Amino acid sequence: MQRISIDPITRLEGHGKIDIFLDDEGNFANSYFQIPELRGFERFCVGRQVEEVPILTNRICGVCPEAHHMAGAKAVDAVYHVDPPRTAKMLRELLYMAFYCTDHTTHFYALAGPDFIIGPDAPVAERNILGVIHKVGLEIGGKVIQMRKYGHTVIEMIGGRKVHPCTSIPGGLTKGITKEQREEIEKMGRWAIEFAQFSLQVFNDIVLGNKGYVDLILGDIYTHHTHYIGLVDDNNKVNFYDGKVSVVDPEGKRLGKYAPNEYTEWIAEHVEPWTYLKFPYLKKVGWKGFIDGKESGVYMATPLSRLNAADGMATPLAQAEYEKFYSTLGGKPVHQRLAIHWARLIELLYAAERWVELATDPEITSDNFRTLPTEKPTEGVGIVEAPRGTLTHHYTTDERGVTTKVNLIVGTTNNYAALQMSTKKAAQNLIKKGTPVTEGMLNMVEMAFRAYDPCFGCATHSLPGQMPLEVSIHDVNGKIINVLKQNC
Amino acid sequence: MRTLIVGLGNPILGDDGVGWRIAQSLQENVALPPDVEVICLALGGISLMEALVGYERVILVDSITTHRAPNGTVTLHKLAEFENPAYGHMSSAHDTSLQNALKIGRELGAQLPEEIMVVAIEAEKVYDFSEELTPTVAAAIPKSVEMIQKILSTGNPSNPHDTDHAYN
Repeated sequence: MQRISIDPITRLEGHGKIDIFLDDEGNFANSYFQIPELRGFERFCVGRQVEEVPILTNRICGVCPEAHHMAGAKAVDAVYHVDPPRTAKMLRELLYMAFYCTDHTTHFYALAGPDFIIGPDAPVAERNILGVIHKVGLEIGGKVIQMRKYGHTVIEMIGGRKVHPCTSIPGGLTKGITKEQREEIEKMGRWAIEFAQFSLQVFNDIVLGNKGYVDLILGDIYTHHTHYIGLVDDNNKVNFYDGKVSVVDPEGKRLGKYAPNEYTEWIAEHVEPWTYLKFPYLKKVGWKGFIDGKESGVYMATPLSRLNAADGMATPLAQAEYEKFYSTLGGKPVHQRLAIHWARLIELLYAAERWVELATDPEITSDNFRTLPTEKPTEGVGIVEAPRGTLTHHYTTDERGVTTKVNLIVGTTNNYAALQMSTKKAAQNLIKKGTPVTEGMLNMVEMAFRAYDPCFGCATHSLPGQMPLEVSIHDVNGKIINVLKQNC
Repeated sequence: MRTLIVGLGNPILGDDGVGWRIAQSLQENVALPPDVEVICLALGGISLMEALVGYERVILVDSITTHRAPNGTVTLHKLAEFENPAYGHMSSAHDTSLQNALKIGRELGAQLPEEIMVVAIEAEKVYDFSEELTPTVAAAIPKSVEMIQKILSTGNPSNPHDTDHAYN
């Protein structure tokens, strides 16, 4: 048997890699997508004052510290049995919308863009954000940078720091915003709406306008029929900050909704011997293996999942795009994984619209941004939608508020089983006997998991930065017979 | 010369926090010229590039893992010496390399420093959760501070790989 390994370097969660095993004849035999554990982060958070944990979890990852800060803040509210005032909730959500706009923008232009705008088979040195800018135009780069700048500005105004917010405390926030700041935030939000519409137009023109890409999106290689989950508000509309988690089956039927403190009734974890990370699945459906269908408890938590699990979007422009999305792709639910990229842009528009809604609420500048906790701390769960999936923080403390147990289910972990299935299917379809394994082919396998926007955590950058990609092919005895290296 | 010194790394990942500790030591113990700023960041790629806009000179301070020098060895480099890791595959799933980010910034007309220097501290324990540095890496803090002071007082060393600049 031969082994092909796609092995990019990562940080906090260690290496994420794909091992593709071929049989003696060179046909696909099996593949494994490994994401090593969080390396003891939960243990590291035990024995600390619980209000410190939302700051510590900021450091899990340089990609979505805001998501960890928010889930942590909500968990700490629950630990102290305190309900923050409306203004505090709105300010947190406003910060979160600004974060969503920066994160979804970066993903689309830096990550998805190269595959779709430059092309999956394009020369490797061109398939990056620079290539996107050269192809679409320099002004697009300026807009991306501007969007990020505005997002960071709002995050800093409300969160105290540009990247790692620190203002959420039990019962609310340490500070509010001034009327002048509100005006500035509103102005930036209106620009963000235009930018989101522009991005959807880019997707429409470049991706949907290209039959090859549409075929790729709709093709079987990147399709799985699984359950979907996502946070929804009281009207079952997509919500990133608050609500209940809606669960729908592969036919779109809602199995139920769970509140944060009910998550253990819905989610269980399956263990496989070949990876440290556990595979969450729907407890009420059961683990049946890495298979599609209603009987399999495998679920997905991504932008596409959120759209599938909800009844619509809570803002008008995003709702119109939501309707176009499902009418174009043949109804609900949509199972094609590459459609996650489109769903992400619809969410970008929603986040921008919600940004303006919150910024124009008369209570947003109120001084009532904290409820002082008076109860003894015990245990609490906080859930938000991280850009790449439902994020659950669960803290237990002693009566002094010192943590005795911390459990985190991060966005990408939810999708682990689905990711394993997607990468396997792509490899199975692309790697055939007698066909040389090309760089473009491996990129198309990577596209299967890139759609999920997997987060392997990378808050740190010990030089020389990321290690280069190495693809090793092993013979039946484990001996390396070929090594493909990029820029090593 | 408007200068930014950036302590890079993650302060809860053991020796990866050494860049922060050096930056903090500079802030606390050294009288810096008024045109020199010091910050600690846990960023890379586009976000890091954005933080460098407007400065004429930047010194990044970070841990490095080469396995070619003893832990705690302090070396000085130019950013241009490092290979650009962001090609094709997902070397980062959410970003691009600092080198690419700088190219983007420059193409967009952002005022970015022509040369970025890197003070690197050899370290291996950069994956383990800890707020403490190992003793050999901690011992590199004063050497690194000294090196940065020398850069600030003498300007850019013409040959950063000069052995004078390798502090063991």
